[in-house]
Amino acid sequence: MGREVSESCIDSLLTEMVSSYCNRFYANKPELAARRIEAIGYQVGHQLSERYTMERPRFSDHLEAIKFICKDFWSELFKKQIDNLKTNHRGTFVLQDNRFRWLARMSAESKAAQAMSMYLYFPCGIIRGALSNLGIPCAVSADISNLPACEYPESYVLCVVMHACSLCSNGHCHGQL
Amino acid sequence: MIVCVAVVGHQNNPLYIQSFTEADDALKLHHIVHCSLDVVDERVNNPKKSGPTLNETFLGLLYPTENYKVYGYLTNTKVKFILVTTDLDVRDVDVRNFFRRFHAAYVDAVSNPFHVPGKKITSRTFAERVSNIVKSFGLSST
Repeated sequence: MGREVSESCIDSLLTEMVSSYCNRFYANKPELAARRIEAIGYQVGHQLSERYTMERPRFSDHLEAIKFICKDFWSELFKKQIDNLKTNHRGTFVLQDNRFRWLARMSAESKAAQAMSMYLYFPCGIIRGALSNLGIPCAVSADISNLPACEYPESYVLCVVMHACSLCSNGHCHGQL
Repeated sequence: MIVCVAVVGHQNNPLYIQSFTEADDALKLHHIVHCSLDVVDERVNNPKKSGPTLNETFLGLLYPTENYKVYGYLTNTKVKFILVTTDLDVRDVDVRNFFRRFHAAYVDAVSNPFHVPGKKITSRTFAERVSNIVKSFGLSST
């Protein structure tokens, strides 16, 4: 069992990371900030996938790797599993988390949609890094919404759309989502 | 006695090779490691040995040469660990134990933020841990 830090430390670190990149390093260049944050997430996902697949037997196919992301990997990161997984059987997967933990303490101001999306690049990078380390290069993007009459008011629903080029039947696919 | 351990990435690029003998046949050991990569690929891609051992990370004895035995281990991220030993009577459980500890050391080395994925592992801590694991190979009798 490794050493642990409190969850509020991680929350503060993530908030400060987004704030630093958006307001200081790449002020007025949100695309660059987003790309940088996603790249950090990519490396973290790469390393975490090594750690969390350590005790397991190898995956027999891509679907098992994706199920691993939805269940074990998601539990390690966000303390719960994915609530819904959809696929079009042509390489695109939609993962839905009804109560995304890393946004649990954010207020639900409507004007903050752009700012809110900045916080999604890091988890997307983590997922992309983990999957590409497991042999599935993909493009990942995420979206949040507030389901009105849902079980958990004041929580965010995160939908992650993932497109794995190797699984899609389009020979000329370039990862367009 | 373990003469060589190696970590090879998923594109068959060497990430770490360390030999533990004083004799300067390091080139021969590198060659043995290189040949064993083919055996690993063949073992993994050949489905004729289907069954409970298909998806195991520990691949077992890859091939014996006249002086050495070569064991392999393939992680989920397609990183291969190769172990070359001159021991004649090696217990399976010892080798599995070795690979388990080696895998833990590898994961810690890769989690280093200064490590560039795909490049060689240059961490001294990793080298020390590996030499500790090599020294205690086969000694425990539990």
